[in-house]
Amino acid sequence: MVQLSRRHLLFAAGAAAVVSMAGCGDDDADNKDLADNRVGAMDKYGVGDQFKATSAVSFSMLYNNHPNYPFKDDWLFWSELLKRTGVKIEPVAVPLSDYEQKRSVLIGAGDAPFIIPKTYHPQEDAYVSSGAILPVSDYLDLMPHFKDRIEKWNLQPEIDSLRQEDGKFYLLPGLHEKPWQDYTLAVRMDILEELKIAVPTTWDEVYDMLKAMKAAYPNVYPLSDRFGKPNPAGNLLNMLAVSHGLAGAGWAYQHTSWDANAKKFVYTGASDKYKAMLEFLHKLVDEKLLDPETFTQTDDQARQKLASGKSFVISANAQSIVNDYRPDMAKSLPNARMAKIPFPIGPVGPINPASRLENGVMISKKARDSKNFVAMMQFIDWLWYSDAGQEFARWGVEGTTYTKDSSGKRTLTPDVDVLGLNPKGTKHLQKDFGFYNGIFAYGGHLELVQSFFSAEEMEFQKVLNERPNVTVAPPHPLSDTEREQVTLWETPLKDYVYQNTLKFILGQRPLGEWDAYVTELNGKNMGSYVDVVNKAYDRYQQKHG
Amino acid sequence: MVTLDTSTPAPATNRRHGPHTSRGYRIFRVVNAVVLTGVVLVTLYPFVNIVARSLSDNASIVSGEVNLIPRGFNVAAYKAVMADPMFWTNYRNTLVYTAVATAVSLVLTTCYAYVLSKKHLKGRTALVGIAVFTMFFSGGLIPNYILVTSLGLKNTVWAIALPNAISVFNLLVMKAFFESLPVELEEAAAVDGLNTYGILLRIVLPLSKAVVATMFLFYAVSFWNSWFAAFLYMDRMDLFPVTVYLRNLIAGATDATSTGGGLGSASDVVQSAATIQSVTIVLTVLPILAVYPFIQRYFVSGVMLGAVKG
Amino acid sequence: MTTSDTVSPVAGPESPPGAASGTRRRRAGRRTWRQALRRDWQLYSLAILPLLFFLIFRYLPMLGNVIAFRRFQPGGSVFGERWVGLRYLRMFLSDPTFWDVFTNTLVLGALTLLFCFPLPIVLALLLNELRSRRLKRFVQSVSYLPHFLSIVIVAAMVMQLVSVDGAVNQFVRALGGEAVPFLQQAGWFRTIYVSSEVWQTVGWGTILYLAALTAVDEDLYEAARIDGANRWRQTWHVTLPGIRPTMVTLLILNIGTFMAVGFEKILLLYNPLTYPTADVISTYLFRVGIVSSNFSYAAAIGLFESVIGLTLVLSANAISRRTVGTSLW
Repeated sequence: MVQLSRRHLLFAAGAAAVVSMAGCGDDDADNKDLADNRVGAMDKYGVGDQFKATSAVSFSMLYNNHPNYPFKDDWLFWSELLKRTGVKIEPVAVPLSDYEQKRSVLIGAGDAPFIIPKTYHPQEDAYVSSGAILPVSDYLDLMPHFKDRIEKWNLQPEIDSLRQEDGKFYLLPGLHEKPWQDYTLAVRMDILEELKIAVPTTWDEVYDMLKAMKAAYPNVYPLSDRFGKPNPAGNLLNMLAVSHGLAGAGWAYQHTSWDANAKKFVYTGASDKYKAMLEFLHKLVDEKLLDPETFTQTDDQARQKLASGKSFVISANAQSIVNDYRPDMAKSLPNARMAKIPFPIGPVGPINPASRLENGVMISKKARDSKNFVAMMQFIDWLWYSDAGQEFARWGVEGTTYTKDSSGKRTLTPDVDVLGLNPKGTKHLQKDFGFYNGIFAYGGHLELVQSFFSAEEMEFQKVLNERPNVTVAPPHPLSDTEREQVTLWETPLKDYVYQNTLKFILGQRPLGEWDAYVTELNGKNMGSYVDVVNKAYDRYQQKHG
Repeated sequence: MVTLDTSTPAPATNRRHGPHTSRGYRIFRVVNAVVLTGVVLVTLYPFVNIVARSLSDNASIVSGEVNLIPRGFNVAAYKAVMADPMFWTNYRNTLVYTAVATAVSLVLTTCYAYVLSKKHLKGRTALVGIAVFTMFFSGGLIPNYILVTSLGLKNTVWAIALPNAISVFNLLVMKAFFESLPVELEEAAAVDGLNTYGILLRIVLPLSKAVVATMFLFYAVSFWNSWFAAFLYMDRMDLFPVTVYLRNLIAGATDATSTGGGLGSASDVVQSAATIQSVTIVLTVLPILAVYPFIQRYFVSGVMLGAVKG
Repeated sequence: MTTSDTVSPVAGPESPPGAASGTRRRRAGRRTWRQALRRDWQLYSLAILPLLFFLIFRYLPMLGNVIAFRRFQPGGSVFGERWVGLRYLRMFLSDPTFWDVFTNTLVLGALTLLFCFPLPIVLALLLNELRSRRLKRFVQSVSYLPHFLSIVIVAAMVMQLVSVDGAVNQFVRALGGEAVPFLQQAGWFRTIYVSSEVWQTVGWGTILYLAALTAVDEDLYEAARIDGANRWRQTWHVTLPGIRPTMVTLLILNIGTFMAVGFEKILLLYNPLTYPTADVISTYLFRVGIVSSNFSYAAAIGLFESVIGLTLVLSANAISRRTVGTSLW
């Protein structure tokens, strides 16, 4: 569950001026001194080149072991990787269940492997001040594919949002050509048809739909949501927040949101937009359209209600529809049909709220001293950021796991299955071959990202891809002392916001007391917090503007 | 007051009762039966429920049909878990780790508890203090990690057996027990010419079967269920105990997204989180339940061995 | 079956007759170290390995706690970068949220102690009254099944039980009342938490007491019966005093550790609406830790808790020695 919120910490909302940061702070004298670290590296390595180490090299890497495709050292992935790049990976295996904790201990103890993947921004912030991880922005010259993608896909603002106070960034994020919004609401389409309601496109239409459902089925709470732990109504609140122009709420709560008109940061939980959100949700609860237990029940309880017909609408992503809801209802409601509705539009208009950055790779500072350092950076660049590398990571070996026709369309070989696309296949792309692994295969060209999507998901994405991206907040990195102070304010603030969010929505506290609530937030250092952030923004503008 | 006694277990009707049991006592016995039945029901029900869920199909579980009896009976979840060779590797690891760790712990704890129970020993208070202090103060994760790594214990069974060898709680309970043993026994043995080691081995330990059995149970269960030490100090999947394996399985099953690498379709993901959790419980608890009856033997009443003068 | 040990009469200078007992304590106190070592070297030798354990695996890592007074940056020096003195101490002492969670920890800990301490004793006594040994074993084995259930499962079961459609509310509705969303009301959290703790630990807790009960001499019962005591008086005058050392030991230990309230279970059961009563130090630190990775802050609070725990144990021990005569040391 923590993983989910991590991913959505990348959401950025609000209109903001695009700040061009080209060429600031990338040069470093350190670069020139790489003469001792070039063993195994290619002399000439540029865009479109296949990386091949000039001598055998091996790198240690933290391996996040997913139980659905547990690590096997005889995977075709490893052997083919060795063949193409000459690189052997030495994995340090960590179970997915507690990956972050082990990573934190390893880095803290100084025992981290060179390559540390599956890192979601801003997790790398904590390690910046100690110098445990590499400021990768200093070494972009070694990574032509990475630079190329930033330029071609206009990702500079996103990259800048990763910068720390020194102007450098410390994480190599996964890059998407187009944002991929996965989460939205899923609705019982058969009920919609029965009640002759059109698929809602805005939040107001969602409200109308819920009302109609309630009128027809008075004993049911039409919307009973999940994803409530550890942040109540994690997805629902977040969806509403980004639709209203805030940076994020629920499981992706951002304390500050960028106000492009006023050109400063405001506190999310005290803004008028947040109040509007709460009013909407309060209306839903008041009219018995939203199940009050949404905010505290477990996922299983929510699924149970859906599967037994006690609710009709729930938060979903593509996988939960296929893996959770449809199998759940197979026996109890065989005529039911669940499908995602397009991300509802709010006051801010149609947007695609997803970020184009993904979880990424941190590099341990110790790697810098390795004689294979340059080779390693080139290798990472090829595997994670080149077209050939990403195709390899996702699809595998042409001829063995997939075939490509003349138009470039890829199909899995008949014997290979993944995501149920080839149910008769005896071998599994992930389990048996090691491809499409969440550590290596993410991001990339739109057509590559969507290459495994089902038809219905493609439909959904088509609508979203036509919407404008959400604009990225400008960088506002904090110094080490500031961060220490601010993080100690953050928890009480967030707790208080969440408590009152629930109280306002559930009617335990009348919305008329909103101003009193804002004053109480001020008493918890909200004002100081926003000041620190705005000062950091100004400071960064001055230093690196 | 010591007696020459046979060590057969107490007869079914113990000698506490006189020929005329009072009416009040009979009522009490009825109430007792009711209360204990309630206890059994309340504690047994969830377990039966879990076993039922582990044998049911996903749809039935989610719709809430499964109570005491499996619905949609299938052993697919068990098959899925037990068909994985890594599961058995990890299970074997658990057995080895538990055995080694329990042995180490028992030896160290017993020795130290015995020493602490000697009230005449000079420096005894300090020795006790050294142990008790560690109940409250400990280093953090990182210092412990660094220590174990620099000792070269990473990826070995000793990383699990050594850092948690003595539980001060168990130590103090054992010490209390040793202190309650009559001192005349040891005096007599000493007169017979036994040294300290002999007394411990031949006199004290045979008398302490109940407490040693209890400590064995406590340590064994604790190591059997532990996952954190292994998770922290092992780098390879084939070194993990089965608890880590199962914990990971649950996390993977409940992880609705798997960014980049997707979960399979309905046919791929063999079982829902609910079933996986249930299977986990059953597979980890069964061995303990199987072993406990053998240990229970030692909780026998009225055992007093030995001949003592006076 | 008597044990007739055929012991080879190894008479050593180490065990002069009469000195092996602890009956003459006053004389023993004046011994010098040299004499003590000479006399009890075997005992001390038994303590060497355990002492090594404590030294290496417990005391050595404790040095890491110095980061409570130094600025620690993950990835930097293990002992922190520089001294900051009492900064973190002051930080949390002046944080009003800290005192809220501290109070919650105390209350939950005290309630747990209040209920989870006596109930295993009661259950052990009740079990002891069962005539049939097989029945006794059966009930005993079943009663501690909950101990083996993982906390995740227990939390899920509890949440199911007290949900609006759960068994408890069904019962309430059957009595004509209205369903109560227990998990959303701070006032109910303590009840829910303590009840689940009792359920999970009462069976396991009887093990020690049952072991202790076996050590109570049968003949004492016989003597009491002859004196005319009924079962109740026998229990009061023979059984309870017989297991008193165990009870006192466990009580003192539990008092010392009562602040270590179940972190994982609370994490699974609480939500922002119940933070006022449910949020304890460990869960608060957990949330703070996610955003801040501030090991120093956590270390400072950890030290604070440790000092409290140690003080409690020392006090409990002293009081126990004075009132009941039994103590941990």
